[in-house]
Amino acid sequence: MINLNFIYSELFLALSIMTLLIVGVFKKNSSILIYNLSIISLLICLALIFNFPINENVELFKNSYKIDYLSSFTKILLISSGVFVLFLSNKYVQIIDINKIEYPILVLSSILGMMVMVSSNDLILFYIGLELQSLSLYVLASFNRDNLLSSESGLKYFVLSALSSGLLLYGCSLIYGFSGSTNFFIIANNLTESSYGLTFGIVFILVGLAFKISAVPFHMWAPDVYQGSPTSVTAFFAILPKIAALTIFIRVLYVPFFNLINDWQMIIIFLSIASMLFGSIAAIGQSNLKRLIAYSSIGHMGYALAGLSTGTNQGIQSSITYITIYLFMNLAFFASILMLRRDDKYFENIEDLSGLSKHHPVLSFSFLIVLFSLAGIPPLAGFFAKFYIFTAVLEESMYFLAIVGLLSTVIAAYYYLRLIKIIYFDSEKEKYETNHNIGLKMSLLISTIFILFYFIYPSWLTEIIQNIIII
Amino acid sequence: MIIHSIFFYIFSIIAVFSAIMVTVSRNTVHSVFFLILDFITISCLFIMIGAEFIGMIMLIVYVGAVAVLFLFVVMMLNVSQQKNTWLSGEKNSNHIPIGLLISTIIFFELIIVAGGWKYKPELLKSFSSIGVDIDSTNTHEIGKVLYTDYIHLFQLSGMILLVAMIGAIVLTFRKREGIRRQSYFKQISRERKDGVELVDVEKNKGVNIDV
Repeated sequence: MINLNFIYSELFLALSIMTLLIVGVFKKNSSILIYNLSIISLLICLALIFNFPINENVELFKNSYKIDYLSSFTKILLISSGVFVLFLSNKYVQIIDINKIEYPILVLSSILGMMVMVSSNDLILFYIGLELQSLSLYVLASFNRDNLLSSESGLKYFVLSALSSGLLLYGCSLIYGFSGSTNFFIIANNLTESSYGLTFGIVFILVGLAFKISAVPFHMWAPDVYQGSPTSVTAFFAILPKIAALTIFIRVLYVPFFNLINDWQMIIIFLSIASMLFGSIAAIGQSNLKRLIAYSSIGHMGYALAGLSTGTNQGIQSSITYITIYLFMNLAFFASILMLRRDDKYFENIEDLSGLSKHHPVLSFSFLIVLFSLAGIPPLAGFFAKFYIFTAVLEESMYFLAIVGLLSTVIAAYYYLRLIKIIYFDSEKEKYETNHNIGLKMSLLISTIFILFYFIYPSWLTEIIQNIIII
Repeated sequence: MIIHSIFFYIFSIIAVFSAIMVTVSRNTVHSVFFLILDFITISCLFIMIGAEFIGMIMLIVYVGAVAVLFLFVVMMLNVSQQKNTWLSGEKNSNHIPIGLLISTIIFFELIIVAGGWKYKPELLKSFSSIGVDIDSTNTHEIGKVLYTDYIHLFQLSGMILLVAMIGAIVLTFRKREGIRRQSYFKQISRERKDGVELVDVEKNKGVNIDV
């Protein structure tokens, strides 16, 4: 008998998706109700995860579903950032008129897919979770279907992502053929030495995964999709799938293929260096804030991958810390963007920020904090994130990677600081509206406070993350 | 063993060839024909290794539903303005030879596999490379694990289908304005005074048309 206690949160989420769907279909004009109910059901999910001791280490369903510290921690991250994203886009979806009942339901099902993904211990389950999350994301990207850009971004994301899923499946089939199983434990047992088939399989799986976190050279979809999707969906894109995909990177690389570290280490280092450099250089010429954050997230994924390439527990922990801090920085950034509203119209170009500090000192200050933190300037949280990564990388004496990382930080600082210059020193523009809803304000407040005061007691996060031990 | 490998190579060559032809051929209808050939050949390969359930499902789902749907869509879309020359045109249609060729190949494949399966089961089964119990059928074996060991995958696949349905509805459903729908409740609850108006016509006055 399987102990279902451990998957109560997933079961609850799946059931609440179906219940909300039924409520939404039978009750007319219930989109706001469904929106609020889905936030509540996410909160209940969070409570259900905390309800059981999260440092338990169990495998369910014939070792294919793994509940351990890593999966519980990332599930908490996923659900809480899902709650935040829903909170901060509450008003946005109403104003641009995409507040249908399906919107929060698709968000929930995407989160369900990610939760399955982060605790999968089997190639099939991993793929099913991935498909569940990306299928919802395709629809979310083109949710504003009357908008040409949104439809285009959805179609583009769908076609490219389906291609990468195909590559990933091909890799999975190669791995299955050469190792005789889809279960991560059995694969790890059966693989002792590398062969060409296995290397090919790993390469294909890595291509599929690198696409999902938009690492260079599989990044080309990110800027267009980020720009075209509704901003609330972009916030979702920039945060949640990255957490899930990074976790599954850890699971795939460090559980079944750890013996073959020599085969995949160079690939990860290449992905990391290319993403860091490309993310910092290509962002310089952008004029749209959402495009800019797309390139910035490509660069940030490069740093997270640098931590993964070390092959040590410290590297994994530094990556998880990085993605946690990245989450808060992006939340604050998107909350700030969503505040640029005037006459029910949202502004998302860099020139719209010009002289923001004259009329909106508080909003400008939070922009300042976020941008400094994204650039990695001490003593903000973003600095610590990069610091942990570089410590882990230098411990393994991978000096080249560290030097490239530091250089690209310097390059990236240019465009972050340019935004600050535009906000504080350029000529002012019209005033934006200030009557934002409480969810948006709270999200911005919480994330900015986290970024600003992280340095006072940085060890609480690292102490939690230190319990994540994979190898 | 030799017969088995000969059949295997025949089928694999046809499968790879038709897969290439799907992408290479310029004519969309031909592509779909080759796609059907590919599906059927692959299902024959499945049957040869003893996985008759998957083979039959391939036939029913892919050939019976998906590919025929493709064919319909391609013909409906009238991709290369061939609608008029289809079968009855003055120009000789070039679909007929290809279609005949493919259906002949499919016919012989089915004879080989289905005939072999029916009359010489030991030929195919003895070389089965899947380590299943010969006595129980594939369907039985799949059913045994599908609802026990793989129940979570089964349920999650259901969730994926649900999301696909929601997505299709969200992206395509439009509420159209100005449609008069029949409402039984409105019809039944109509009363006499809503429909009939009694007017007192004044007698001997006539109608004033000039106004």
